[in-house]
This record gives sequence, C-alpha cells and structure tokens, in this order.
Amino acid sequence: MDKPSHLSVIVDLSPTQWAFCAQSTAPPGLPLQTFLSQLLAFLNAHIACKDENTLAVFGAFPGQSVMLYSSTGEAMTSTTEATDPNTYRPFKTLDSTVMSSIAERFNSYDVTEEEEPIGLVGCLTKALCYINRTISVVSASAQGTEGATRSIDPRILVLSVSPDQSSTYIPIMNSIFSAQKLKVTIDVCKVFGADNVFLQQAAHLTGGAYVQIERTDALLQYMMMSFLPPPAIRQLISVPTQDRVDFRAACFCHKRIVEIGFVCSVCLSIFCQPVPVCSTCRTKFPIKTLQRLNASRPLATTPSTPGTPRPLTQKNGAALPRPG
Amino acid sequence: MPSIVCSAQASYKKLPGLLELTDTHLQWTKTGDQSPVVKFPYAEAAALSRSKAGAEQVRLKIGLVSNEAGHNFTFTSPQAVALAERDKFEAELTTIIARNRAPPPQAQFPAVATSKARQVATPAPVTNGSAAGTPMRPPAPHARPSQSRAVSVASESRASDTPVGDSPTTDFRLRKKVLVSTPELAQLHRELVMGGHITENEFWEGREHLLLAQAAAESQKRGKPGQLVDPRPQSVDGEVKIIITPQLVHDIFEEFPVVAKAYSENVPEKLSEAEFWSRYFQSRLFNAHRASIRSSAAQHVVKDDPILDKYLEKDDDDIEPRRLREERVDTFIDLGATSVDHEETGNERDITMQAGKQRAVLPLIRKFNEHSTRLLDTALGGPSVKRRRLENGEERYAQLDLEDLHDNQSSAGIILDMKDRQRYFDGRANGAEQGDPEGPRVAFREALQQAKASTTGWSANLAQLRIEKKAGDAALISMTQNVQSRLDVKQRKHDIPEALFRQMTTCQTAANEFLRQFWLAIYPPANEFQQLSVATPAQKTAKALKMIAYLSKTHEKVEALVAEAQREQVDPNRIRVAMKPILDAVDKALSFWQFKNADKAPGVR
Repeated sequence: MDKPSHLSVIVDLSPTQWAFCAQSTAPPGLPLQTFLSQLLAFLNAHIACKDENTLAVFGAFPGQSVMLYSSTGEAMTSTTEATDPNTYRPFKTLDSTVMSSIAERFNSYDVTEEEEPIGLVGCLTKALCYINRTISVVSASAQGTEGATRSIDPRILVLSVSPDQSSTYIPIMNSIFSAQKLKVTIDVCKVFGADNVFLQQAAHLTGGAYVQIERTDALLQYMMMSFLPPPAIRQLISVPTQDRVDFRAACFCHKRIVEIGFVCSVCLSIFCQPVPVCSTCRTKFPIKTLQRLNASRPLATTPSTPGTPRPLTQKNGAALPRPG
Repeated sequence: MPSIVCSAQASYKKLPGLLELTDTHLQWTKTGDQSPVVKFPYAEAAALSRSKAGAEQVRLKIGLVSNEAGHNFTFTSPQAVALAERDKFEAELTTIIARNRAPPPQAQFPAVATSKARQVATPAPVTNGSAAGTPMRPPAPHARPSQSRAVSVASESRASDTPVGDSPTTDFRLRKKVLVSTPELAQLHRELVMGGHITENEFWEGREHLLLAQAAAESQKRGKPGQLVDPRPQSVDGEVKIIITPQLVHDIFEEFPVVAKAYSENVPEKLSEAEFWSRYFQSRLFNAHRASIRSSAAQHVVKDDPILDKYLEKDDDDIEPRRLREERVDTFIDLGATSVDHEETGNERDITMQAGKQRAVLPLIRKFNEHSTRLLDTALGGPSVKRRRLENGEERYAQLDLEDLHDNQSSAGIILDMKDRQRYFDGRANGAEQGDPEGPRVAFREALQQAKASTTGWSANLAQLRIEKKAGDAALISMTQNVQSRLDVKQRKHDIPEALFRQMTTCQTAANEFLRQFWLAIYPPANEFQQLSVATPAQKTAKALKMIAYLSKTHEKVEALVAEAQREQVDPNRIRVAMKPILDAVDKALSFWQFKNADKAPGVR
C-alpha cells in the first residue's frame, strides 16, 4: 500500500427501502441505525490505513444526490461538534459531518410529496467528476517526480439496497465507460434486495468486486474484508466477488430489460422490436428487412428466463438491423 | 479395345511386364497376367521424371495426382531400344501432363465424363437446391466416401484458374480442402454427415464463408521462385545424378540464355538431348554457372568439352558489368549530376563502400542482380511501363509532393444527430417503476420518520457497536470459501479421462450443430444473398421436426455420460455443470417448438 488511495462511497439512502430492510426477517434485515454505525467504522478504518488516503462520501436520496463529506473540505456543515477528548479528531470530524449532512437532507423533505427514485446515477457521475478533478490536480503538482504513473489509486464503493431502475441503464453504462477510461474500480455491496443487473455489470467491467451480504449483522466484517484493500494489492489479497454476471441490457425505446434485441448497425442502439427508423441516429431501414425480422421475432409469450447467463450478442450488417 | 499408342517392355517393382500407352490410359501388365496391375487415366498424370542420361538403368517415373510417389518403370529392353522407347513415352506423357495442367474449363467436362465412365455419375447428388436430403444418403454410406474422393481427385488436376462458380466439382474440392485444414470440422462432418444425420448441403449452409475463403486463397497464384537456378547433383551410390525435369530445363534456358543457344544449335544434329545434358553438367560452362564461388569441390569433375567450351564467356568481373542496367535517372535525385558542382569543395570520393572488392565475387553478384531484375520485371511488368509522361509541370511537382510532408489533419467526423434527446436520457419505463414487490407497503412518511430517527444519537450508537462473533465468523468463512473456490478453479488441472472428455465434446458439438440447423429452419435467412439451398416452408418444418427429434435425445445422452463418469470415478456433478449450458439451449429450443405447435393446434384462424 505505498500509493495513497482515494475512496468515494455512495450510500443508498432511500427511506422506503430501508424500512423494508429493517422489517424483513428472511433474509434478515438491518435497521438503518446499525448500518450507519458500521459504515462510519468502515470510513474511519479507511482514513486510518494511511495518512494520505482521501475519502469522499455521497448520499443518494430520493430525487437528489448530495456530497456528504469530502476530505478536501468541500462539504462542511455549519455546526461543529464540541471537541471530544476520547475520540481521534479526524474520525470525529468525518463522522459528525456525514451524519449531520444526512440529517439535514432528511429534514428537508416534504412528507406530502411522492417519493422519487433515488439519485444513484447522479452520485455516480458526481463521484467520477470529483475523482477526475483531484487526479488532475495531483498529477499537475507532482509532474516532475511521478512521470507516467498516477499517484492516486481511486475507487468507488456503492452500498445499495434498492432494485434496478431501468431508466438509468444508459447513464450507468456511460458512467461505466468513463470509469474505465479513468481506471477507476467500482465495487458494489448489495446489503438488501434482489440482484442489481446494472451494478453487476459495473463491477464486472471495471474489475471491481460485487458482494451480496448474507449475514447483515456482520456487515462490517464483509466491508473490511472485501472493500478495504485498494486495487493495487488486490492481486495479493484476493477479494471475494460474484462471478455470475447478468449481462442483459435495457432497450432504448421502452427501457425494458431484454434478452434478445435488435441493434442498429450505425449507432448500436438496442431496440426490443424492429423499428423503421432508428431513434438516435435517424437511419432508415428497408421495409423488406423489417418484414423479414418481424417474422423472426421470438414469440411474445414464451417465458424469457435467463437460464445460465450469457452475454447479449450483437451483430452488425451493412445498415441493416439484425436479430441479436 | 482401345488403340495402343506405344508400348515397351518394362519392369515395375522388379517384376517384368509390358507398359502400354493407350489413347485413354497408361497401364502396365505383368507378363503372364491378363489384366493390368497399374492402370490410370490420362487425367491423373501429374509429373514426369527420368533417370540421368548415361545411367545404368533407363527409368521413367510418373507422378500421379493422388499419389505423389507415383510409379517407377524401368525399361528392360537393350539400352538403345530402351532409350528410344522411353523417349517416346516421355514425349507423349509430357504433352498429356501439359494438357492436364492448363486446360480450358469447358473442355474438361466431356473429358471428365468419358474418363469417368466407370464411376457412376457422382456430380448429380451435389446439385444445388436439391429438394430433399435423401438422395444424398445412399443406402451404403461407405461407398460414397470413396466415390466422392475420386471425383474430387479428378477435379484437383484442374488448373487453379477454373472460376469459382456453382460447378459441383469445384464445390466438392473446396469442401474437401476446408475439411482437411480444420480437423475439428472434419470430425464433426464425419460424424454427422457420414453418420447420416444431416445432409451435406445442410452442413455447409451456414459455412459458406469458409468455402469462399478457401476459393480466394486458391486463386492466388504463386510467382516465380526467387532462388537462382542451381541444380545440384546428388551422389547416389557413387553415381552422380541430376534429375532433369522439363521445368528445370525451362528454368535453365531462361536463366542462362547461353545454354539455350547451345542447345538449339547442337541438338539434335550433333548431340542427342541426353548427351547434351550429360556433357553440360560435366563441363566448365556449367561450373561457371554455379551459384557459389567455391570451386574446390568440383575441380576433379570438370572436363574439357570441345563443343560446349565454345560457349564459355569471359568472367563478368570487369569494372562495369557486362549487361549495363538500363535505367532512367530521376533528375530530382540524381546525385551524380551535382558532383560537378562540388568538385573543389565536396567530399572525398568514397573508397570503402565498393561492391566486389574481391574480383572473384563480381560475376556472382552480377548474376544475382540480373536475376533479381528479371524477377521484378516479370512481376511489375517491365521497365518501360512506368515511363508515362504527364504535363511537364504537374509531373515534377507530383514527384516532390510526398505524403509525409503534409500536416496532420484530424478529421472532424460526422456529428451524431440525435433527435429526441430528452427521451433518450430520460424516459421512464411504463409500469416498470412499480415500487413494491411482494411484501408490506410502507408509506413514505413513516419511512422518512424512521430514517430521521436513525440519524439522531449516532455517536452513542457508534460507541456501542458490536459485531457478534458467530455472525462475523460465518461471514468470514463464506467469503473465504468464495475466494478459495475461484482459486481452485484457476489451479485445477484437467483430470477428466481423455475418452470421457472426447465423448463430452462430441456430444456438445453435435448438439450445437443440430441447434444451428434447427434455428436456421425456424428463422428467416440472415443474409439474402448467400444461400446454398432455398427450401420451401414445408421442407423447413420437416427439417425442424427432425432436429427436434435429435435434440430431445440430448438429455439422455448427457445422463449416459454422467453414468459413465461415475463408473470412472469422476465426480458426476462436474459433468453436469459442464454440460449445463448446452442443455439450457436445448431446453429453450424445445420449449419454443412446443409453444409454436401448441399455438397452431387449436384451429388455424
């Protein structure tokens, strides 16, 4: 661990989902309080590992995404807690900033409104922008010494309890591609709820770990073992991950998750049924091809179970959409 | 009774007999026998070679298309007669071989037909668009491979400039070549087609690209070989032999025009061909034409030869080569033109980089240069082709305008014109946002209350944080197991016994092929242009039915494999896990078929 590492934590704070989680008995759930204390312990551990480690915490609330804490000091709250002689000061600052930001956000909600889906994608993009900014600052200052290798190892950890939102497929895929470019690893910790297809793909494509928690009362054990080691030493300390990845994609027209789709050969956008004109790049497809493809569509009512997951294959022809 | 063109007493494999050339075949009969032991039609003769003139035995070797080694015949008549006979055979066979190598395509079919009179018409089954697959499956499957091989052998003797069309024989040949080059495909083909499950056409239906690639690779012709013509004598049992083929003779004449001149002047008036060659290879002329300057080994062999020594030329080791290179010097890069300008102030003349400091090496270097020039000329089309005169000014500028001097221009690219950006980025799925699965609904307000309550008093909670030992251990163990199993998989050696593994692979590839045929029958064709056979819907359904029948048996096959695994002390679960993907695919196809049929069953509307 000779390179300092940066960790951006994205916490899924959807009240309804946490209520489900707290109430559920099988699989055993976890109340939000316990979760938050374990999370704080983990964050303290990260900044204790190495002095130069940096941390940023983002919260995904219904309809908004907020930066709760950052070690470079962007998200400071107005109130400061009294100094406590029993606690290591950096820990105390971190914990109090995070918790007070969360409380502030919760209080700002108007109860009569409908709950919106959480801003997970917003958090993801903000985290990537933050990382990009800090990386470029560091490399600008350390140009003489470092040379080509980057001095900071960034990674993102997503703690999620909510299910997939198919409308977020496209933005999440775009974030994954930018993470690949920036060489950022995305880890995912699924505390509660069904498997999240898009986050699985995110972990797989960036080389991160996807862990589904079975014993929620030992959440801290999971986090310490799987998510504390920075990417550089993961070759030595193997972290557990889930190998089965569901590679299904969502169609662009209805945002439904599809197994077999039709791909435009110009812009590679995915459709669940053959369209005469591609909606993203406005390429026209010949009628004969459409008729032929319509005849070949899988029958609508066969149950589409994934079976053993396989990647969605895409075929490109010469300006003809073809069944994939 | 076919008429005999020439015949001679000749022995084959040390047995005496009679060698005959009829107007359709070449055959050899052992004395005393009635029917010929060796008999092959004209089309099979591929190569001809003979023993050195002056050698003890007068031999003739004929290489066949199918059999590279061919047959060796030794003429047993007394020497002079044998030589004459051999020459006659040779002349006839050379014309036949030449005809074999470069025939016009149209003339082939009647020739093939007549010479293949004994073989039952095999091109017939390979007609395109054959309706049912059954004509392809003769009742005796073992007879078919031998027939097919014979037809393809005949067609291999054709030149490579036969156009790739729908000609059945070219198809056969291409298929055979593709199968020979990929052994896995050959195995699959052997099992499925020879075993009678799938017809030949069906097998090749999705694989046309392989055939096209093979045809493209074949149509590339080889150019002239780059090596200098240098026949080396091989000493066999003390007797020094050079095998003279017509090709070699042609090459020698092209390389050394002196030899051609000598040949045309001396043969057949003063020397016979055989004598000419034997004397040539022992003469000084040949020694001068060798591609190596080490003459020590050949000293004792070289004899004076009155006729051939007349053609000896002086060694090419003057300052200027004997054949000056005819080259136009480009005025832009003519370095010699400016040397006059720099006489006083220029560099010293270079004395280090002079070719051929050793005079003895010069002839060889010049010979190599001439050979390379000749090669390039034949490949590029002669030195005079490039001298095309354009407008004076333009041409000069064009010579200066090198591409490397242009600036690096990045292309702007085509902007992706997206309409409806909002829909692309935003779009909620209809009804996909149902927030509640099974389970109790929680109102937002209560949930928010709970959440707010959790955030108060957090420091006390943090101080009291405890992880139960059992829970922690359980978590640790499960994670360790996860890592361990992955490590295990990486390290595990392949220890399934070979036979079982092969059975598994064949089962999988066969099932894959059936699946491919099934889906091909169901879905419309992928590409409208490339199709091997156009089948009517009825045929397609029939094919689909057949495939379904095969696919239903796959489960039993896998169970049989698992049972065998148990017998061989291999963990049966591994087999099951390995075969699971193919079983899933088979199940999917089966359910699709059932669904489709169940749909149609209750009355067609």
